[in-house]
Amino acid sequence: MRARQRGSAAVRAAAAGWPGRRRRLADADLSRADRILRTVLLVGTAVPALVLLFITAEMVLSALPALIYAGGDFFTHQLFTFGNLYATGQSVAHGVRAPLGASYGAAPFIIGTIASSAVALVIAVPVSVGAVLALVELVPRPVQPALSVFLELLAGIPSVAYGFWGVLYFGPAMAQHLYPVLTRLGVVLPFMRGPVGAGEGLLTTGFILAVMIIPIIASTTRELVRTVPALAREGALALGMTRYETLRAVTLPYIRSGILAASILGWARAIGETMAVLMISGDLLNTLPANIYSPFSSIAATIVDLLDSALTDPTGMAVHALAAIGVVLLVISLASNLVGRLLIRRVALGALPVGRGI
Amino acid sequence: MIAGVNRFLVPRFPAVNERARTVEAVAAGVSAAGASALARTARAGTGVAVDGLRVRFGAREVVHGVTVGFHAHRVTALIGPTGCGKTTVLRALNRLHDGRPGVHISGSVRIGDEEVYDPRADVRDLRRRIGMLFQRPNPFPLSIRENIALAARIHGLWSRQDAAERTEAILREVGLWEAVRDRLGQAPFLLSGGQQQLLCLARALAVEPDVLLLDEPTSSLDPGTTARIEELISALRDKMTIIIVTHNLQQARRVADEVCLLLDGEVVEQAPADRFFQAPADERSRAYVDGRVG
Ligand SMILES: Nc1ncnc2c1ncn2[C@@H]1O[C@H](COP(=O)(O)OP(=O)(O)OP(=O)(O)O)[C@@H](O)[C@H]1O
Ligand SMILES: [Mg+2]
Repeated sequence: MRARQRGSAAVRAAAAGWPGRRRRLADADLSRADRILRTVLLVGTAVPALVLLFITAEMVLSALPALIYAGGDFFTHQLFTFGNLYATGQSVAHGVRAPLGASYGAAPFIIGTIASSAVALVIAVPVSVGAVLALVELVPRPVQPALSVFLELLAGIPSVAYGFWGVLYFGPAMAQHLYPVLTRLGVVLPFMRGPVGAGEGLLTTGFILAVMIIPIIASTTRELVRTVPALAREGALALGMTRYETLRAVTLPYIRSGILAASILGWARAIGETMAVLMISGDLLNTLPANIYSPFSSIAATIVDLLDSALTDPTGMAVHALAAIGVVLLVISLASNLVGRLLIRRVALGALPVGRGI
Repeated sequence: MIAGVNRFLVPRFPAVNERARTVEAVAAGVSAAGASALARTARAGTGVAVDGLRVRFGAREVVHGVTVGFHAHRVTALIGPTGCGKTTVLRALNRLHDGRPGVHISGSVRIGDEEVYDPRADVRDLRRRIGMLFQRPNPFPLSIRENIALAARIHGLWSRQDAAERTEAILREVGLWEAVRDRLGQAPFLLSGGQQQLLCLARALAVEPDVLLLDEPTSSLDPGTTARIEELISALRDKMTIIIVTHNLQQARRVADEVCLLLDGEVVEQAPADRFFQAPADERSRAYVDGRVG
């Protein structure tokens, strides 16, 4: 009888799989030191998640009054003003009070953020991928690490330096020499038509953001290229295909979705960039950009720019409004990161199959 | 004895090693059987003759002057213990060592009457003419259809119009058609290892090679696919020169007409398969066949 009971317990444990055994291991078999280590590790793992949760919750709570006040206009309206902070009257919408004339339309920031980052991606992806493939294919192997160092150095330049250079030298030079030429593309791409302005705006910001995210995309691409099995490339070479054809038939398909993932990580970096954008964007509020050269403003830059005056709003609504656009930024950035990471994981799995399954 | 065997099997090449002897001159000096074998090689134009091949990785020489002939329409098994340089020799035949840093190659490799290491040689066409199957399957990360047709189209052998038809023909030839006919547009990585290897064989055959290099093509495959590939090897013998590296002496007995034993980067013996296995001329061959070496 006892034997049968023990037997059935064993069967039950087996049916339940590992957990039964793991619990025993965790509780009884672990030494004191092990248990302390486990606690430390658990706390260490929990901290980032908790911080993220806490910040998100705080931001959302802080944003709620402004979001309720603005309603759907938040996403569609162009006018973003804290209202008359010294007036006696108040504006009321959806049951929420705000300073007289306050309007929290975030469309220009949202569009500015997305547009400038998109321009940056369009420039950065081909440049990074092209540069890495050229580096790997054309540059002799011993020299490659030396050149790669420059990528890392590029990533180390502070964004305020980029902003400074961009607004004082790069932007004006582009507006003078390159942009007038680009306006000719306006024939097919209406948003490329003039006027080109003085060099502060979407395109200049896009260029600078591109330089800032190229190291991210390029270094990821470089690692991806290294994961392409030599065996797969040699299969193409042995068929009499040139290195260029091998690149197209083997290397690029292998790294394609990885490049996509790297781009999303670069994009996530671009939408959050603050200082350089604040300096180069032209900081134009309440208007959608008219063309690709127009001044604009991004979410991050606007928060920095307006925080001081927002703090003087006695109703606190101005801070709520900034928190609201901050939440939008947070959501875009978290979503991009998540998608990027998922894609990278899929790529990491997908890169294996050559020679697998045997 | 070994030297004798090699002398009648292998034409020497004046341009490269400056031993000015022509095919005819060598043929004149050897037995009737040897001469006719050689004549066949020369006529078909697709035999492979390796002469004084040395391969060095950095400071370390791995292949020490290998001289060996691979006859057209014959299957030659290249055998030897691990690390003796079989793969290195094989990769030298289609210049796959090219562009690898630190690899130095000297000596001569001729396919038909063309010197492979001639600086003016068209490496692309040489590689097209020398197909290769690797130890592990390495299909392209493209659709199954593209895997077969891409290289053939690049070399101008297939047009867009007849690609579908010829893809089917070649897949039927290797016995893969039924398995993949419904998923030609899918990636090849979902196929089993053996199916992937057959796909790679089909891919190699699509560019109409004269020579087929097989580097332990079945070492990771199940008996069924192995038998399938061995059948194909026997069938393909009519069309091309086949060199197969294998650790499996049973396989060498089954498929090979000739056997060449390599030890430490040197040819020990090359002989017709029957003779090699029944009465190896060299003591080391005997030891290897008996399992006392490697
Ligand atoms: N790229 C390389 N760089 C340096 N050494 C190499 C390289 N490739 C091969 N070798 C060396 O050359 C020797 C022969 O290698 P090779 O791959 O030709 O052996 P093999 O006969 O094919 O062996 P196996 O039967 O195990 O495949 C080995 O000692 C190996 O370490
Ligand atoms: Mg090998």
